[in-house]
Amino acid sequence: MNRLHRILTSSLLGAAVFAFWMWLFPQDLSYQEQNQLFLFTWDYLGQRLALPGGPADWLSEFLVQFFYYRAAGALILALLAVLLQRLVWRAARPSHKADKPSLYVLSCIPSLLMLVYQGDVEVLVSYPVALILSVALCPAMTRARWHRLWLIPLGWWLAGPVILVPILLSCIRGRSWQDLLMLGYTALVFFAGYRLLAAQYPARDAFFGLNYYRLVESLPVLQIVIPAVTLLTILLCGLGIRLRNPLVPGIVTFLLLILGTGFGVRMTFDKDVHETLAYDWLIRHERYADVIARAEKYQPRNPVSACSVNFCLFMNGQLEQRLTQFYQCGTEGLVLPSIRDNLSDITSAEILWMMGMPNITLQYIFDVQESIQNGRKSGRFMARIAECNIVNGWYDRAERYLDLLSHSLFYRKWALGRKAMIQDESLVAADPVYSYIRSVRFQDDFVTFYDGLDLMMAILYNQNKNNFMAAQYYTVWQRLKQTEAGQ
Amino acid sequence: MKRWLPLLAAVLLAACTGKTTMVEELPDIYPDYIGVTIPAGIAPLNFNLPEGYDRVFVRVTGSNGGEIKTRGRLAAFPIRKWHRLTRQNAGGTLHFTVLGRKDGEWTQWRDFILYVSDLPLDDYGVTYRKIAPGYTTYSTIGIYQRDIHTFKEEPIIESTLTPGQCMNCHTANATDPAQFLFHLRGGHGATLIQQDGRREWVTTKTDSTLGNVAYCYWHPGGRWFAGSINPVRQCFWTGDQRTIEVFDLASDLVIMDMQDHSLIVDPRLTREDYLESSPAFTPDGKTLYFCQAKAYEVPRHVDSVRYDLMRVPFDPETGALGEIETVIPASCDSLSVSFPRPSYDGRWLMYNQADFGVFPISHKEADLWLMDLSTGEKRPIDEVNSPFSESFHNWSSSSRWFLFSSRREDGLYVQIYIASIDENGHCTKPFVLPQKNPRKLYHGTLYSYNAPDFTKSRVEFDTRGVYREVFSDERVQATVKP
Repeated sequence: MNRLHRILTSSLLGAAVFAFWMWLFPQDLSYQEQNQLFLFTWDYLGQRLALPGGPADWLSEFLVQFFYYRAAGALILALLAVLLQRLVWRAARPSHKADKPSLYVLSCIPSLLMLVYQGDVEVLVSYPVALILSVALCPAMTRARWHRLWLIPLGWWLAGPVILVPILLSCIRGRSWQDLLMLGYTALVFFAGYRLLAAQYPARDAFFGLNYYRLVESLPVLQIVIPAVTLLTILLCGLGIRLRNPLVPGIVTFLLLILGTGFGVRMTFDKDVHETLAYDWLIRHERYADVIARAEKYQPRNPVSACSVNFCLFMNGQLEQRLTQFYQCGTEGLVLPSIRDNLSDITSAEILWMMGMPNITLQYIFDVQESIQNGRKSGRFMARIAECNIVNGWYDRAERYLDLLSHSLFYRKWALGRKAMIQDESLVAADPVYSYIRSVRFQDDFVTFYDGLDLMMAILYNQNKNNFMAAQYYTVWQRLKQTEAGQ
Repeated sequence: MKRWLPLLAAVLLAACTGKTTMVEELPDIYPDYIGVTIPAGIAPLNFNLPEGYDRVFVRVTGSNGGEIKTRGRLAAFPIRKWHRLTRQNAGGTLHFTVLGRKDGEWTQWRDFILYVSDLPLDDYGVTYRKIAPGYTTYSTIGIYQRDIHTFKEEPIIESTLTPGQCMNCHTANATDPAQFLFHLRGGHGATLIQQDGRREWVTTKTDSTLGNVAYCYWHPGGRWFAGSINPVRQCFWTGDQRTIEVFDLASDLVIMDMQDHSLIVDPRLTREDYLESSPAFTPDGKTLYFCQAKAYEVPRHVDSVRYDLMRVPFDPETGALGEIETVIPASCDSLSVSFPRPSYDGRWLMYNQADFGVFPISHKEADLWLMDLSTGEKRPIDEVNSPFSESFHNWSSSSRWFLFSSRREDGLYVQIYIASIDENGHCTKPFVLPQKNPRKLYHGTLYSYNAPDFTKSRVEFDTRGVYREVFSDERVQATVKP
């Protein structure tokens, strides 16, 4: 395969991955971005570097902050896919001198498998980044011989356990007693590093990767399969199989990979999860009509989707008229109770905020942020937490969040603007959103609970007849309650 | 004159590079250490100037001699020199001269002093839980120990090790970590009891009790501990003065005999129409203090739940309880008392007082009160109270220092304050637990320093062993004493 074909293959891979994230699943990018808050501070860097695989994690979070813009996110993931493919090919080359035909397309396998794996939205970008760093170390590790004594701990710290890919590759290629010794040394490094750097983590997490997957106590099979397949691919590409006519097998392999990837994506991408994420992403960008349009074609039958669609119907002035055209699940489909995860209550928090319940919004959104299982914070959620504090006049608390956000890239300008605002009460009072919420919020202080939410809506409306949202949600709440009772 | 040369030089230097303005006000330092009383050998009281000041120069001189100078972006003192200076000036004062540079111009404020107590604070440090303050969920949580003589903080256990398990407060026996316990909630929940390095995981929930123990207190003899069983819930306020209310759906009080892991379940302390909480033994081990309130329907009437301070004689030999007596009938004055803590010398009893409820940390009006156990006189500790919540206090092993948590920083995030108390019960202005860069740490953190206590020595804890044991689910089942 000549150079042009290689460029074409890599470009095609990049373009496909870009299109995949840009147009098919842009909501995943938003989800990744809103579940982390990258800060340009030495402390933040220090926290990341303190763990094995921390540098890859830091680098990935640096990249994921750009997912704030979907085109940038899609481009970054496409570049990572191409980089992984190119590095796999480069890692395979030391074993054959000349360019070998036909097998270049096989070097796409790890990237495509990664795409399949990323159908699970909890897979962190630090996983492909760590794998890229590891594969990038393959040539150096193969040549290093005794220098592996320092390269192995360094690699483990940089990328985490996927550093086994270059270590095993070098041992397979070396096939000597030193390589066996090196495997023993690797086990020693892993164990010592674990005790030194990750003693407050379960051993299983440390040995299979601390920052590759968002959910704790979970170890997806693909997290182990992908490094193994990457190693096999490197070995396979490095075999230097000569083909008389590389075009036909090349095309066949290419088609098989496309089919395999398509099948894998269908298997791993949970339609309902991605649809629910899409609603959240569209609501974040105030594209309410698009949510309704999507729901007209397909709507997941879960309370989160019902809540999102109902909210968008309200925003488009269609809640009462079109309520029955969409999936309903009782009053929960209007405002969800407090649920301990990092997604379900986002729309409910938005509804409560707009209706004039900043304290319950604060509770919901604080809990949403604290439900990010890997303990990361969120720019999006933290901004809303700051706003709830501003509305309550708790400027000292708001300032803490604003100061943190001012160390980020995309929330910095907003945070500095708000920080300037809270220095002057008249500016806060003049803000249309904050002043509106202050005008419609509860005038009395009383204890709330979810079962009394409809009564609270009634109180809000009776307090301020301009609170059209509270009135309409109350009306629909009663309607759904009657329907539930009728059932 | 020789002593003043460096300062003179600094002022001259400042004068060469810009104008130095002398002002009569005290410097607006963070944290507010002006006029506080510290023990000799405490970690350096580093401080920051307000935002905008890019340079600070500080000279500290002791009334009994010695001096330290420091300059930089914040006032950070070398630990050894600081220790030497504070020890040299125990019983005396430290005199601070502070200059700050802003926009190229230097300002020198009025000098201030702080007091170095002659009462030693020899405990190793403090233990606390770090948790995001606020609502029903937490992402990471951990119990830590901090050497109060340096800035060294280390985890005892973090939730990353035991995912999905919430950790309740760590309770040592009168600051001695040789005997401590904490309760782990969640799927693998149990009460971990460590005595002289030996660990036991005990399920304190029985068929006759509401659940596992939460708030515990060791009997000074070490054989017993008292624990309240509190199914805790939260509800939320609608106004702009407060957010959360933490309450118990029900609560009972039991006493565990560590000899046979049996529980004393006294029907007087497990009544359905009353709530019991916050147990604490006196240092002679013969009295058990606790709080008791009439139960109401919650959360609807959560603001009606008011706790009185009670006490009951306790026989350490048999575990028999005597007649229950009301010590402070706070509910009669529409007030609520919680967390009684007798000093280890038996002289004082410190407690919390709020308008209602049992969780003072979420009550802005909650203050610390002090009762003289010899006379029964009580008073609010105005020397340490603030307009914000003060709660969760504990004594040092010598009982001459105490710590407490306070939300005075911004009304939400909790920090630990330390103050001393003399033989007459007079307390000193408290100081916040020193940090290397206080503004950066306290303002930048999203964690509260929760449930603090002194620890006489460093807590030894086998993290790996604990991890294995948590998930092994091998538990000692507590029984009810017949």
